[in-house]
Amino acid sequence: MKNDNQQQAESRKERTAASLTKLILVILFLLGTVLVIMGFRGLRIFEASGFNSENAYQAIHQLSGDVEDAWKDRLEPRLKLLSQEDRSGLDSLARDMLISEWEDRSEGAGAEAQQILEGHGADADALTWKLLYTTYLIGGPKISSAAKKELLAGQKASEAFDLELLSCITDENAALPAKAKKAAGKLEGAKRQAALMQAFFVANGSTDPVISEHANQLLKSVRNRGQQLKAFRMIAEGGISRIMLLFAGRARTVMLAGVLLMIDVLILAGLMAAGKRWAFDFKWIVILLLTDFLLFFQLMPLIYIGIKALFPDGSFSLDTVRRLYTYPLNLEALKNTMVSAFAAMILGTAIAFPLAFLVGRTNLYGRKFFRSLFVITYMVPPYVGAMAWLRLMNPNVGTVNQWIRALFHLSSAPGPLNVYTLPGMIWVLTTFYYPYAFITISRAMEKMDPSLEDASRISGASPLKTVFTITLPLMMPSLIAGALLVFISAASCYGIPSIIGIPGNVNTITTRITEYVSLGQQGINDATGLSLFLLVVAVVILFLSDVVLAKRQYITVSGKSVSPQIVHLRSWRIPLTVLVSLFAAVVILLPFLTILTTSFKIDIGKSVLAPGNFTLSNWTTVFARNETMSCLKNSLLFASAAATAGLVIACVMSYLLQRTSVRGRNIPSFLITLGSGTPSVVIALGLIMTMRGSFGVNIYGTVYIMIIAYMIKYMMMGMRTVVSAMSQVHVSLEECSQIAGAGWFRTMTKITGPLIFPSIAAGWFLIFIPSFYELSMTTLLYSSTTKTIGFQLYEYWTFTSQPMSCAMAFGILLIVVLLNFVLGRLTRGSFSI
Amino acid sequence: MATVTLKNVTKIYDGNHVVLKDFNNTFEDGEFVTLLGPSGCGKTTLLRIIAGFIKPTSGEVWIDGRMVSGHKTFVPPEKRNIGMVFQSYAVWPHMNVFENAAYPLTIKKLPKEEISRKVAEVLEITHLSQYAERLPGELSGGQQQRVALARALVAAPKLLLLDEPLSNLDAKLRESMRFEIKEIQKRLGITVVYVTHDQAEAMAMSDRIFLINSGIVQQCDTPENIYNHPVNQFVADFLGKVDFFKGEVRDGRIVFPGMGGQSVAYDGPRTGKVEVAVRPENMYFDEQGELEGILEQQYYLGDTDDCRVRVGDTLVRVITGGYQYGRLKNGQPVRISVRSFMTFEDDGMLENKLQIRT
Repeated sequence: MKNDNQQQAESRKERTAASLTKLILVILFLLGTVLVIMGFRGLRIFEASGFNSENAYQAIHQLSGDVEDAWKDRLEPRLKLLSQEDRSGLDSLARDMLISEWEDRSEGAGAEAQQILEGHGADADALTWKLLYTTYLIGGPKISSAAKKELLAGQKASEAFDLELLSCITDENAALPAKAKKAAGKLEGAKRQAALMQAFFVANGSTDPVISEHANQLLKSVRNRGQQLKAFRMIAEGGISRIMLLFAGRARTVMLAGVLLMIDVLILAGLMAAGKRWAFDFKWIVILLLTDFLLFFQLMPLIYIGIKALFPDGSFSLDTVRRLYTYPLNLEALKNTMVSAFAAMILGTAIAFPLAFLVGRTNLYGRKFFRSLFVITYMVPPYVGAMAWLRLMNPNVGTVNQWIRALFHLSSAPGPLNVYTLPGMIWVLTTFYYPYAFITISRAMEKMDPSLEDASRISGASPLKTVFTITLPLMMPSLIAGALLVFISAASCYGIPSIIGIPGNVNTITTRITEYVSLGQQGINDATGLSLFLLVVAVVILFLSDVVLAKRQYITVSGKSVSPQIVHLRSWRIPLTVLVSLFAAVVILLPFLTILTTSFKIDIGKSVLAPGNFTLSNWTTVFARNETMSCLKNSLLFASAAATAGLVIACVMSYLLQRTSVRGRNIPSFLITLGSGTPSVVIALGLIMTMRGSFGVNIYGTVYIMIIAYMIKYMMMGMRTVVSAMSQVHVSLEECSQIAGAGWFRTMTKITGPLIFPSIAAGWFLIFIPSFYELSMTTLLYSSTTKTIGFQLYEYWTFTSQPMSCAMAFGILLIVVLLNFVLGRLTRGSFSI
Repeated sequence: MATVTLKNVTKIYDGNHVVLKDFNNTFEDGEFVTLLGPSGCGKTTLLRIIAGFIKPTSGEVWIDGRMVSGHKTFVPPEKRNIGMVFQSYAVWPHMNVFENAAYPLTIKKLPKEEISRKVAEVLEITHLSQYAERLPGELSGGQQQRVALARALVAAPKLLLLDEPLSNLDAKLRESMRFEIKEIQKRLGITVVYVTHDQAEAMAMSDRIFLINSGIVQQCDTPENIYNHPVNQFVADFLGKVDFFKGEVRDGRIVFPGMGGQSVAYDGPRTGKVEVAVRPENMYFDEQGELEGILEQQYYLGDTDDCRVRVGDTLVRVITGGYQYGRLKNGQPVRISVRSFMTFEDDGMLENKLQIRT
C-alpha cells in the first residue's frame, strides 16, 4: 500500500515536472518568435528610416550621449554666464542658423526645423542648441580641420575666451580672439557666424577624437542628406531607446538569435518526444550550442548557395544556372573536372589496392618503411607536388623530358611529356590523392579477420582465388569508400589545377570559381552557381559513402587480436619489391628532390650542379622578408586556433558519442561529417556570401572567417581520431576509477586523459597541418592582413620566382616534417601521419 | 576414413622460441582426438600445421598415407581435402548461408544440382535448412557456428579440424553443441581433431585426449585413463580438481606430517617420500574414516556440498552429495575416508610442474 502511494506520488511529481518542461519549452519558443517578429519590425523600421546601414542606430545612440554630455557639462554653463539679453539674442540667432543650415541641406527642412522647435515649447532653446551642435558636428566644412585642431588646444582656455567668441558671433565688429582668427578667417556675415559658432562648439565639445569617430560612423551609415537631418533630430531629442537600438540597430542579429532559439526548442521538443521523457538533460545545452554554431556557419551558407543559385532574383529561375552551364569555358571546366577526378579515382584506387595488399599482407621487403612512405604524401600540400611535376614534365625544360630525350636521342623539340594537359593534371592528381585510398584500404585490410581467408583456403580455394572471392568482396566497401574519397578530393582540389591547369588552359570548376570570385559581386553570384555543382556531387558522395556503404560495411574484426596472415611472395618477392621501390622513387623521391634542387638554382633551365648555377640567395631572400615571416606567423596562429578550437569540440563530441547515450548527440556529429565532405571552395564561398552582415554576423576579411573555415573542413579528422581512441578505452577503466573514489573530473584527468592523450595530440595535428598549408579556402577568404604562408607561396610561384617559391615550399615541407616528428615523440611513436 | 601421422613435428619461432616439440603420433580412422591444454601451449599450432597454414620447422605430416608436409614437400591447405571450423567461425559476411556452405563445392566446380542437393543435406544435418537465404549478420552466434560446421562438412572431408569452435558460445549452447558435434562425427564416421582448453568438452567428446603443455605432450590417453591415471602432477592438476599432500610411506601406510602424523593405508609400490593427489570427490564423511579433523566451512552448490576440513595443519577439501548439507555443522569433529588417491614421487618440484608455461 505504502509503495503504491509512493509510486503515485512519484508519478504525479513526474507529470508536474513534465508539464513544467513543456511550459518552459513553449515559453522559449514564443520568446524566439517574439525575437523574430521584433527583428522583422526592427528591420522594417530600419528600412523605412532610409539609413544605409543598421550601424546608424549605434552611432545615433552614441552621439546622442556625447551631445547630451557636451550640452550639460560645457555649453549650457557657458551660455548661462551671458546676460539675459545677450542670451535671448544668441538663442534666436542659433535658431536662425539652424534653420538656414537645414534649409541648405534639404529644401523645406528649415520649415520642418521650425516646426520641431515649436513643438517643444519651453525646451525649444536647449533643443535648438543641441541640434545646431549636432548639425555642425557632422556637417560644416566651413572650418578647416587644421583650424579646429588649433582651437582644440584652446579647450583648456578660459571662460573669457568662450565669452569673447560668443560676443563675436552677435557683434560683427567685436575683435576676434587670436585663436579664432584662423577659424573665422576673412569670412563675413552668416558664414563668419557659422564658423565662430563651430569654433565655440569645437572648443567645448567632449574629447574630439571620440566624437569624430562616432560622427564618421554616422556619416558612413547615413549618406542621404535628408536622412541626416532625421538622424540629427534623433540625436538631439535624446537618442533612441535601448530596445530600439537592439531591434532596429541589430535587427538581423536579433532575428538570427530568434530563429536559432526556435530551432533549438524544436530540436529539444523532438528529442524529448522521441525519448518520451519530458525532462531536461544538461548535455543538450552543449549539443545545442554546437548545433547552432554548425547550423549557422556551415549549413546555412550551403543552403544559401543553393537558394541563391536557383532563386537569383528572389524568384525561381534556372536562367543563371543555364547561362553558367552552357558557357563553353564552364562546360569544358566541368568536363575536365569530372574526367580528371574520375581518372584519378580509377588510377589511384588501382594503385592503392595492390600497394595496400603488398605492404599490409605480404612479406615484401621493407613493408613498414613503404607504408609510412606512402602515407607521408598525405601531409604534403598538393600544390607543392604540382610545382614539382611542373618542373619535371615541363614540355621544354622539364627534367624528365630532358632525360627521355637524351635516352632516346630525340630532337630537342618540346615533349614528349607535357604537364600542361589534362593527362598531365590527372597524373599529378593521382600521385597526390592515391594515399587517401591507400590509407582507407590498408586500414580495413589490416583489421580483417585472417581466418576468413583461411576458411577459403581450407575449402579448396587457391590464394589467388581467395583474393578474388573473399578478400576483394570483403574489402569492397572500403575500396569504394577510398575511391569516392579520391574522387571528391580530386574534383574539389584547387592547388593542383591552379598551378598546372591555369597556365595550360585546362580549367576546372575550382579555378573557374576562384576566377569568378575575383570579378566582384556579379562574379560571386556566378561562382555560387558553379559551386552548386560541386556541392551536389559532394552531397551525393557523402550520402553514398556514409549511408549506402555503411550498411554494407561488414564487421570483419575478430575478437582475438591476431596479426593478419602473411602471404609469402616466394620468387616474386624481389621483383615486386623493386617495382614498389621504383614507384616510390618516381612518385615521392623525385618530386621532393626537384623542389629541393630547384630552390638552389639561379637558372631553372640548367642543372643545379652546372657551374655557377648554385645559390643560397633564394632561401635567404625569401626568409629574410618581413612579409614571409608575417604570413608564416599568420599561418601558425590561424592553424593553432582552428586546431585548438576544433579539438575542444572533437573531445566534447567524442565524450558525448562514446560515453553517453544522450539523445541528439548524432546531430552535431552528422554536421561535422557533412562539413568535412564539403569541397573547400564551396565552404569558403558560402562564408563569403553570408558572413558580411546580412545575417547578423560580419566577419568577412577577418581572421575569424578563416579559422571557422578551417574548423569546418578539418574538425572531423580530429573528432574521428579522438572517438576511436575513446572507444578503445573500456568504460570499466573509468568506472573502476570512480569506484575507487575519484570524481568525474579526476577520472577524466587521471585515467581517460592520459590513456587517450596520444590521440588527442594526433587529432590536434591532424587539424593543424592541413590548416597550416591550406590554399583553396585561403585564396577566397584572405584579406591584406590575413595572408597565410600557403597563399604567399602561391603568389610567389605565380608572380615572382619559381626557385624562391621552391625554397619556401621546402621550408613548409620541413616544418610539416618537423611537426610530424614532434607528433611521433609526443605520442611515443603510436601516431604520425 | 583418414589417418593422420605426425612424425617428429617441431615448430620453432624466431630461432629459439619452441612452440611445439617432437610431436609423434597417429590419429586413427574415425577417431575423435582432442588437443587439450592451456592457451599458448601449442595445440592450435599443431592444428594449423595439420591444416597446412603453418609449415613445421622440422618433421613430417602424413594424411592417409600421403606426405603433405615434409622436408621438401608441402601441400597447400586447399589441396589437403580437410574440413575446418575456426574459433571466430569465419563465416563470410557477404555470402548467405547457402553460398557459404556451397563454397567448397563451387570451388570443385560440381554441377549445380549436385551442389544444391549436397548443401541441402548438410544444412539438414546442422539444422539450418530454414536459414539458407539468410546473411550471417542476421544469425545468432550458435547459428553462425553451425554454418561454419556445415561449410566444413559439405565436401565430405575425411578429416575435420575444429579450432576451439565452442569457446564463443554461452554455456547452455556450448553443452548442446558438444553432443551435436559428437553425433555428427559418429554418423559420418570422420576423423576429428579438436582443439580446446575446456576439459569438460574434451572429456565429453574424445576418444583420445592429448594433454599438451609448453609444446610437449604430457599424456595421451582415453578420457577415463587420463582422469584416473594421470602420468604426472600437471595432468592430475589440469583435469578435474585435485589436492596435493606430502607424505611418507611407512609400514604399509602413508603418513602425512602436515596432518599431525595421521595416515592412510597404502599397498602400492612406492617407498619413501611421496606426493599424494586426492580428488575431493573421492573423499567422504565416514564414522570409520581414517582421517580425523574439524569441519570448518561448507559451500552448498545444490548437487554437491563443497567442504573444508582441517586435518592437523592442513585444510582438506571434501566434496560430497548435496544432501549432506545441513546434517553437519561447522566446527564439529568429522572423520573422512579416502576412496582412492594417486601417488607421485616427491622430488620437491611440484610448484614448478604445475606452472603453465607458454
